[in-house]
Amino acid sequence: MNQRLNLSAGPHVRDRWTTPFIMMIVLIALTPAAVIGVVVHWVKFQSLNALWIILASVGSAMLTELLFCLATRRKITIWDGSAAVTGLLLALCLSPQTPVVLPIVGSVFAILVVKCCFGGLGKNFINPALAARCFLLLSFSNGMTNYPGVNELGVDALSSATPVAMLKAGSMVNVTKMFLGTAGGVIGSSVLALLVGGLVLWGLDVIHGEICFSVVGGFTLCLALFGGHGFDPGYLAAQLCSGGVIMGAFFMATDYTTSPVSRLGQLVYGCLIGVLGALFRILGKSADSFSYSIIIANLFTPLIDLYIVPKPYAYRKSAIEKAAGVVKPPLLKRIPKPVIALTIIAALAGVALSGVYSMTKDPIAAAELAKKRESFKVVCEDAADFKDVDAAQKALDALEGGSYGGGKFGTTVIEEVYEAVDTSGNTVGYVFSVTNRNAYNPPLKLALGVDPDGKILKIAFIELNETPGKGSKADEPAFKDQFVGQTDTSAVDTMSGATVTSKAVLNAVNAGLDFFRNVIMGGGK
Amino acid sequence: MRDTFRGGVHPNERKELSRKAALRVFDAKGEMVFPLAQHIGKPAKAIVNKGDPVLVGQRIAEADGFVSANVICSCSGTVKAVEKRRTISGAMQECIVVDNDGKYTETGDIFDQPLRVDNLTNEEILAAVKDAGIIGLGGAGFPTHVKLAPKDPLAIKYLIANGAECEPYITCNDQLMRGYAAEIVEGMEIVLKLFPAAQGVIAIENNKPEAIAAMKKAANGHKRIRVLGLRTKYPQGGERSLIKVIAGVDYPITKLPADVGCIVDNVGTIYAIQRAVVYHEPLFRHVMTVTGEAIKEPSNFIARDGTSFAELIEAAGGIKDGVEAKKIISGGPMMGIAVSTTEVPITKTTNAITVLTSDPVETADKKMTACLHCGRCTTVCPNGLMPQMMADAVAAGDFERYENKLYGLDCISCGSCTYICPAKRPLTQTFKQTKAEIMARKRAAQGGKK
Repeated sequence: MNQRLNLSAGPHVRDRWTTPFIMMIVLIALTPAAVIGVVVHWVKFQSLNALWIILASVGSAMLTELLFCLATRRKITIWDGSAAVTGLLLALCLSPQTPVVLPIVGSVFAILVVKCCFGGLGKNFINPALAARCFLLLSFSNGMTNYPGVNELGVDALSSATPVAMLKAGSMVNVTKMFLGTAGGVIGSSVLALLVGGLVLWGLDVIHGEICFSVVGGFTLCLALFGGHGFDPGYLAAQLCSGGVIMGAFFMATDYTTSPVSRLGQLVYGCLIGVLGALFRILGKSADSFSYSIIIANLFTPLIDLYIVPKPYAYRKSAIEKAAGVVKPPLLKRIPKPVIALTIIAALAGVALSGVYSMTKDPIAAAELAKKRESFKVVCEDAADFKDVDAAQKALDALEGGSYGGGKFGTTVIEEVYEAVDTSGNTVGYVFSVTNRNAYNPPLKLALGVDPDGKILKIAFIELNETPGKGSKADEPAFKDQFVGQTDTSAVDTMSGATVTSKAVLNAVNAGLDFFRNVIMGGGK
Repeated sequence: MRDTFRGGVHPNERKELSRKAALRVFDAKGEMVFPLAQHIGKPAKAIVNKGDPVLVGQRIAEADGFVSANVICSCSGTVKAVEKRRTISGAMQECIVVDNDGKYTETGDIFDQPLRVDNLTNEEILAAVKDAGIIGLGGAGFPTHVKLAPKDPLAIKYLIANGAECEPYITCNDQLMRGYAAEIVEGMEIVLKLFPAAQGVIAIENNKPEAIAAMKKAANGHKRIRVLGLRTKYPQGGERSLIKVIAGVDYPITKLPADVGCIVDNVGTIYAIQRAVVYHEPLFRHVMTVTGEAIKEPSNFIARDGTSFAELIEAAGGIKDGVEAKKIISGGPMMGIAVSTTEVPITKTTNAITVLTSDPVETADKKMTACLHCGRCTTVCPNGLMPQMMADAVAAGDFERYENKLYGLDCISCGSCTYICPAKRPLTQTFKQTKAEIMARKRAAQGGKK
């Protein structure tokens, strides 16, 4: 009995869960989404690019951490798995068509700058994967906005007020695809897979329900109240299934390090993300607003943790009253009557508003359609009415709202095509609404009128957010009147100092002309 | 009624090692060592000198002051020395060392026949408890005669006999309740006399169905006593956890259970009270478990105070062949203390010797990572503290926030946070040190004022 005995302080037993084990569970929970992303992209484009992105991202994240540890002579920490999780999360929120170099750059940024330079695991102040994504978006916007299918999961198609397209295409079809992850967009776009993974994590107590459900709840409620569509399930479902909301709520916002520790703090933090995300969706232009709202909330976390500290049970008011023997009336009687009254009134008002909304939904849609047609009249002055073109509609449906021309015109989406007829029913031309996403501050949206011979009647801008004094000159007659009467754009002079904008306009117009020649005329003959 | 508290953890119980081993009386052969400070409060004063003959049950040290307790000799023989010896805590402490003659001659004051207790006054009961040197056998060792004399005995609503035994490995109270159920109920009745308004509750974790059945049978017909099965969860047997479940009250660290109308005593203490009052037998032996993966025959003993760890381990068959004892713990693995040598004596509060073949702490230290802020520690803390924030405050040296904003002094050192931490941070250990540091600073500040 004289051998050496260990003398460390108790407790002398430990739980089996370790940091690497938790990270492994998170990786497993993300696997279905990753697999679906890779498979969908392969089936659609016979390309394994999504897989290479995932491998490059995870590999470079781990390698960066290894090199940092070696360079700074620290304990090698790559096997705790957190670098792998960061790499995978980053990969899942990139488009499968992203050049493979971008995830590598992003992972290096995430691990080296955001994580290691701030002290490594548990010390980063914002979510490394999201920070890297935003870094890439700002630095390499061309490579980053190259989406197959619906641009950014159709976020913009939905949020930048084209309910017409939504109503026309039947939003439910779209939502189902987005839910399953076959609609395109980022690699980790399968809401179903993410939900399954997220709920498993929640069930295993790996992530806090206080965060993920308050994010989703705050987001939904805020959209319902201020989104202009009330509690329309189609609209809310489309919003929830798009733009990384579920990914953000279950995998990004719940990052331990950058979220508050207390339950109340977590609720506040989650609601902040949800509300910010919804407001950005309603008011903002960026399709990546949800990433930004999580990062902003990350920055509030230290503040929340400093001030929201729950008292131990014994110091809470209820415990003190109970210890003192105070007998309380039942819960309902303790709520002041005005609160009950106001709650009931608010609930009734909400129901009434929803009712009004659903009653006026169709008239409003009709009015918006009329307005739209009015704007088409600008580019085709002789038109009295606009008719659907079957061949065009078929082609658009086949694209599922995706980019037209396979990249020939950049990321350009043809949204609507109508045949313009005069009062006696003769065809006087065709009108298009075209959106290009490669402008300086996308989207750039224009209406294009073409006569039956393929000559441009006129172009007009529906949405133009370019730099005032530079790209904004596109809307001046000096530039846009050059198009009138042309059958191609070779004679059009680009604007000096606004080449990006010029190129975007030309791409949009060329896409429209190409569509006219190949689909409408080609299909018509 | 709720059957558990908020938070808590589920460590591997390992009670199967010894739960079937019936209680065995173990009489030691070697010298017996009795530390003068086995309880909370002032150490007792030795009343024997070197060379004095002593008998079983003889008082060898006397309570010094109000919060103090007598020390009773558990063997017969002669006093070898009154000197500093190594004790469980690792420190050298003043001890009475008795050369054991192995005859175990008793003093003669211990009755063979039970005394009629119906007519005893409260003062007589308290005096018997005090004379017997009874202290809380649950681990803290608070003198029982002090605990049983609160300011207002009528304000006590619950007398809780703690048979939860939530520490992993330990099974001695399980065996005690199975074998001495009637005695424990009688002990409860005696204590209940002191608290006319109180209801007696025997609280047992439901992983001990035999003990629950035995206690229920014994309590049958006793109107003021009921048996309560509790969910198995650590630290269910903590004083606060029991009061939360039974009285539904949470109270700050500055208050005592009696302040919220509760008295909590270990079932072992209740049994000792019964022995002291009915048989006049002072506390010189108690139940304890010798167990662990390294022990050949994990056993439950009725062991005499002062017996060395080495003898008890030997009595349990010794260390298994071919394995190495890596860690020897006085008590269970959650709150027990690792000892450096087996040449230390058991005291009144030693309820187990757990001998492990591997040291989970050592393994955990190797797996330690930075804090993830995962919040598991806040979920398991039975008092609703924020261990993660407390550790951050300590790291930042912000004792002000630790004490006043985070209520860090309310930590009961149960170890749940350290147990659950996936990053294997030594949370409880940090808090113990910090509490000691803050208390030391306070004392220094007060001393400065005077």
